[in-house]
Amino acid sequence: MNSLHTYLFIALVLFCIGLFGLLKRRSLIGMLISVELMLNAVGLNFMAFNRFLAPDPAVGQVAVLFIMGIAAAEAAIALSLILALFRKIRSINVEQARQLKG
Amino acid sequence: MTPVMGQYIRPEAVAWAAFILVVGLTFAGALIAVLPRNIIYNVFGLATCILGVAGLFIFLGSEFLAMMEILIYIGAISIAIVFAIMLSQPMHVRIPPAWRPKLYLSFAVSAVVFVSFSVIVLRTPWAVALERSQDWTVKRLGELFLTRYELLFELISLALLVAIIGAIITAAALGGGRKPEGEP
Amino acid sequence: MTPVAPNGGELSLALLAMGLPLLSFFLVFFVTRPRVTLSCAVSLVCSGLPLLAAIWLLAGHWRMEAPILWELTWMRGGGVAVTFGFLLDPLSLLMLCIVTGVSFLVQVYSLGYMAGDPGKAKYYAFLSLFAWSMISLVLASGLMQLYIFWELVGLSSYLLIGFWHHKFSASQAGKKAFVMTRLGDLGFFLGIIVLLLNLGDLSILGLNQQAATRLTPGLLTASALLIFCGVVGKSAQFPLLTWLPDAMEGPTPVSALLHSATMVAAGVYLVSRLFPFFQGSPQALGWVLVIGTVTMLLSSTMAMVASDIKQVWAYSTVSQLGFMFMGLGAGGYFAGVYHLTTHAAFKALLFLCSGVFIHHYATNDFFVMARSGARSLKVPMLSLTVAGAALSGVWPLAGFFSKETVLSALAELPNPAWLWLGLLGAGLTAYYTFRLLFVMWRPRRTQPPAGHAEHGEGGHHGAAVYWVMAAPLLVLAVLTALLGAAGPALESFLAWGRPLPPGAHHGWLVAASVVVVAAGAGLAWLEFGRAGAAQQGFLSRIPGLWNLFANRWYLDWLYRWLLDHVVYGLFSRLFTLNDRRVVDGGIDGFCRATLGAGWLLSLLQSGLLQYNLFTMVLVMALVGLYFLLV
Repeated sequence: MNSLHTYLFIALVLFCIGLFGLLKRRSLIGMLISVELMLNAVGLNFMAFNRFLAPDPAVGQVAVLFIMGIAAAEAAIALSLILALFRKIRSINVEQARQLKG
Repeated sequence: MTPVMGQYIRPEAVAWAAFILVVGLTFAGALIAVLPRNIIYNVFGLATCILGVAGLFIFLGSEFLAMMEILIYIGAISIAIVFAIMLSQPMHVRIPPAWRPKLYLSFAVSAVVFVSFSVIVLRTPWAVALERSQDWTVKRLGELFLTRYELLFELISLALLVAIIGAIITAAALGGGRKPEGEP
Repeated sequence: MTPVAPNGGELSLALLAMGLPLLSFFLVFFVTRPRVTLSCAVSLVCSGLPLLAAIWLLAGHWRMEAPILWELTWMRGGGVAVTFGFLLDPLSLLMLCIVTGVSFLVQVYSLGYMAGDPGKAKYYAFLSLFAWSMISLVLASGLMQLYIFWELVGLSSYLLIGFWHHKFSASQAGKKAFVMTRLGDLGFFLGIIVLLLNLGDLSILGLNQQAATRLTPGLLTASALLIFCGVVGKSAQFPLLTWLPDAMEGPTPVSALLHSATMVAAGVYLVSRLFPFFQGSPQALGWVLVIGTVTMLLSSTMAMVASDIKQVWAYSTVSQLGFMFMGLGAGGYFAGVYHLTTHAAFKALLFLCSGVFIHHYATNDFFVMARSGARSLKVPMLSLTVAGAALSGVWPLAGFFSKETVLSALAELPNPAWLWLGLLGAGLTAYYTFRLLFVMWRPRRTQPPAGHAEHGEGGHHGAAVYWVMAAPLLVLAVLTALLGAAGPALESFLAWGRPLPPGAHHGWLVAASVVVVAAGAGLAWLEFGRAGAAQQGFLSRIPGLWNLFANRWYLDWLYRWLLDHVVYGLFSRLFTLNDRRVVDGGIDGFCRATLGAGWLLSLLQSGLLQYNLFTMVLVMALVGLYFLLV
């Protein structure tokens, strides 16, 4: 439990579960949740490097805080977009938002 | 933890148990966040997962971040998602099961990513920094935010502000609904 | 015979002769055209001075021993140089005199003939253009230069035939002449290319001296025949002969200048010019002989039934050109050139006389002219008689002697048939010529001449116009009478002054030709001349032959058939198919393929976000792996 690889693999599993959800889910909100998972995995990675490798442990924490800020902004924007889309096509199913079909 | 208990229960075992609990929470939450078709379960799964990640942050030495994690993700983002669900998807609509090939394809792509990133993790020669400071205090974080990373800090604030305004405009104007008052 | 460079006088005279008509063309066409008198003066001066230069050169080189050559390199590439310049030797000097002489006389004559025509200045510009092209053609030192001016001559012919372009038949005739001569010129050009590829030398002297030794016999024959194609087109030989009678739609002086005396003789000139080259290939000369004979007989028969005076002379021109080719084909270099010379004089005279009648009576039908009193125009009538007699070969006029040389050249051939055909042609010539003369001299039902004359084509312009037109007639009539005596002198001049081999003298040949001419003339007397003659040829009692001759042996019909069935029916259809299916189809196919490819690619744009994500993530993962592992 005190090795870099352990944490990296935990983060990787978390990332892959998020990725799987992102690719699989048809609900846009589901995809947003999956993206949050992936962002968490990245933050976890930062903290792992911070703990085991970095010269100054404060820097990694700063990075994670930034990620959290970005994630909050992203969630706000994404949710508003989802609402806009829902008003337009009466659905949040991504497979029905196909206006860009070639 | 009393000395008596300490004779029977070794701290390492407690730590291990806590670690496994935290990792289990993370993975279980992640799976719940992804797999069930009901969107409310997914939100709860996300919250559970966030709890687990916060625990991992404690194991990695930063109680402050664990607190922030719970505060932002569970207190803000999950709540916002619940609001979005309430505003958009009628809960009683049956969602048709996923198209099978897409499921397999998603799994295959995730597996490929997993394998390739594992290889990257294993093959990279990680190097530990020669001199390492042990200053984990919040005070140091605050100093960094206001000195070295001040610009980034301001930019993040600005980004958040823009995101909030943008979210309002998008949700209000572009969704085909009524235009905000006072706009031509 | 190595050529020598010209001295200053020769150079400037030759360049003067080549340059003045061009100068005149530009001056008249672009500057003085609104002022008719000035235009005529410019043109006359610019055609008179070359005539003087030509006579001066001819007199100065009467005993020349080596050709004079002056060349500038126009372009050079791959060891082949295309040159421009001039070549002065007896043949080109003689031809230069003919061209400039007839050209000058015709320009003088046109002063009267074209008086009052609104396009007179333009007409003179075109005549100058023709004179320039023809003089440059005659003096050309290389085949490429000759070919360029050959085409320019064709262009000026087109312009002059169609000069009265408001007349539909005239513009049609101009087009016909242009297209049919072009058909032959295609062969000429191919011949030039064959020579260029295989010999790499287009200079006339080089061709004459080296072609026979440096080319294989097959190539030599092929190139000679291809060049002869151009000759066939330009000189209206069989099978491209029908454009010349149609070309009579142009003004009569033009017919005299281009379509009898000079331009159509350019084909004969070209064969004479390259005579040693043609001699290298007996097959080619054989073809020249055959084509000449066929043409002569065909067009003589056509002339027997024509009632349009210009048509008669047109057919006669074609047949006399065929006669020249017979002489050349039989190996008689001098025979062809001599007949060309005399023919230029008497045929120009014939046309110019006819022009006076046409101008006066506003008709082309010589029966009508005769009835209207053509006899009363003394000078043209006498000139016409002299020229007609010369054409039929009456002693002591020029035509007798030149025809005699051609016949004796034919008599040298092992096969006597050629001689008999030649004699037959001479008889036919005498028949149709005397037919016309008798009709003109002894008209039926004479009418007062005055009534008709006032409605003439150009109108009456009084005695001055008449004499402007009559003066060239007198000059040419004198020449026609005298050229016969100049034969031996010309022969020795053309042979570079060397003593001539004593040719076999065929005394019986003179007798035979006299008999044949007398027979033809006698037949004409019986049918047209004697008192109480019906003035109907024996042919009118044989409708089949009459129709055949009057319809030009259905040659035009044959062209039409070939055009419809071969060109339109076969080639045009194939090309149209190629156009529709291959070219259009190719472009359409390309467009359709582009559209299809776009459609195929658009399938990738499914509009499904997650498929894009699949690809993106996969690629990122693999790229990361690649950078780590490699």
